[in-house]
Amino acid sequence: MRIFFFLLKEGFRGLVRSKYAGAFSIIIIWISLILVGIGYVGARDMIFAVDNIRSQFDVDIFIHKSANQEEINKFANKLKNMVEIEEVNYISPDSAAKRFHKEFGEDIFDLLEMNPLPPSFTIQLRNIYRNLISIESISRILSKDNIVDEIKYRKKILYLLDKYQRIALSVILLVFASLTLISVILVSNSIKMTIFARRDIISTLKLVGATDNFVKAPFIIEGALQGMIGASLSAGIIYSLFYLLNTQFTSVFDYRAVVSIHFYIFLIIGGSILGISGSTRAIKKFLS
Amino acid sequence: MISFINVNYTFKTKDAGIKNVNLNINEGDFVFLTGPSGSGKTTLLRLIYMDLLPEKGNVLVQNYSSNKIKNRQIPYLRRKVGMIFQDFRLLPDRSVFQNVAISLYAAHYKLNQIKKKVYSILNQVELGHRVHFKPHQLSGGEKQRVAIARALVKEPIVLLADEPTGNLDPRASIELINLLYKINQQGTAIIVATHNYSLIKRIPNARLVQVENSEIVSVT
Repeated sequence: MRIFFFLLKEGFRGLVRSKYAGAFSIIIIWISLILVGIGYVGARDMIFAVDNIRSQFDVDIFIHKSANQEEINKFANKLKNMVEIEEVNYISPDSAAKRFHKEFGEDIFDLLEMNPLPPSFTIQLRNIYRNLISIESISRILSKDNIVDEIKYRKKILYLLDKYQRIALSVILLVFASLTLISVILVSNSIKMTIFARRDIISTLKLVGATDNFVKAPFIIEGALQGMIGASLSAGIIYSLFYLLNTQFTSVFDYRAVVSIHFYIFLIIGGSILGISGSTRAIKKFLS
Repeated sequence: MISFINVNYTFKTKDAGIKNVNLNINEGDFVFLTGPSGSGKTTLLRLIYMDLLPEKGNVLVQNYSSNKIKNRQIPYLRRKVGMIFQDFRLLPDRSVFQNVAISLYAAHYKLNQIKKKVYSILNQVELGHRVHFKPHQLSGGEKQRVAIARALVKEPIVLLADEPTGNLDPRASIELINLLYKINQQGTAIIVATHNYSLIKRIPNARLVQVENSEIVSVT
């Protein structure tokens, strides 16, 4: 414990001594995490919005009119047992006729003197299967059943949603990865400057018999502190931005950013990890 | 306690190094390494604290062998070997106490032990009244005594001194060599690399190792 406090004190001392190099690292982490944090909330809410749209796209399975009730029941059981399917609704020809009346205001019997509407199922897929590839694959399996006449879903919209969501996520991931990498390199370089300025203490510590871990620890603590400070500043900015957005601009944007305390905690942990990665990289190179 | 057995070391960038060195240093010895600049005195010291490892031959320091030692064991060897240098190598922003205590922090001593040992060693080198001073507030001789305290506080088996009087005036040099003699009398072996032949005469029964052109030319 006494060694831990000694190293912690050394880490704080290093942070104070590093001045410009330390401030540079903190600013880099600060800016990166503002972008990453806002990007994350944006990406999360975009995925949520897209999922919400997808959840409204049901798959309709039309059954041959010739199918008897026993075959329909058997098919219904098959649907209910499929892991991909969350909810199954059966629509009998009579229910379909009622729907027709409700939607168009006319009775189909009065128009055609018969009910041409076939029995059908409306299925809702589980969240992860609400994409074109899964729907096409499920559709192929179901259409092999003899009682299935036709399967309908919004192929074009799903295709576009999949495509643009993929592009947006790829861009966000690329930006995240680039920002993280740039931050680690810049933090690492600024800590390298700090280490170079303090090569005297490193060489003295090595001469008096300090292990590599003992030499490294204050620099790693310093990196963690820089990360924590940078991330806390980012958390403050992000909180203020979302607060403004949610209170002052609700009439302009139909959007409310909901950000929990966990997000800010993860941001600060993330900042510390960023600082630790940068300093570990720098001191490792220096000691080797 | 320390043995060089057919040791060779050459630097890639310059000619200096050492060739075929055989030398034994025993407990309680006071040894002067003398010779011109670049003859290999510092190389011999660096081989003892394993800052350099020989290309050929073996250096034995107590139970440590340069042929077998692993990188992670070197810090433990250095806790048994004290070192002082011409430029003192003190940490300029730390007090005298902190400069000495750092050796013990590195060796994971308890805080109360650290305080006790540091105050005791600083009194021994007559710096008890300078505990809270920073190096820039000390004279050259005092700085070197802080370096000695830092080396001795971990109770080494041997104290290596590389040109310890190089930055000191004649009076401070004599005081320093007297202090080293006093330490030696308490049982710690001392190895001093120096040009200053006048110091040698001040230590009775000191051994003299003359190094020239990377070779030991005489041992007494």
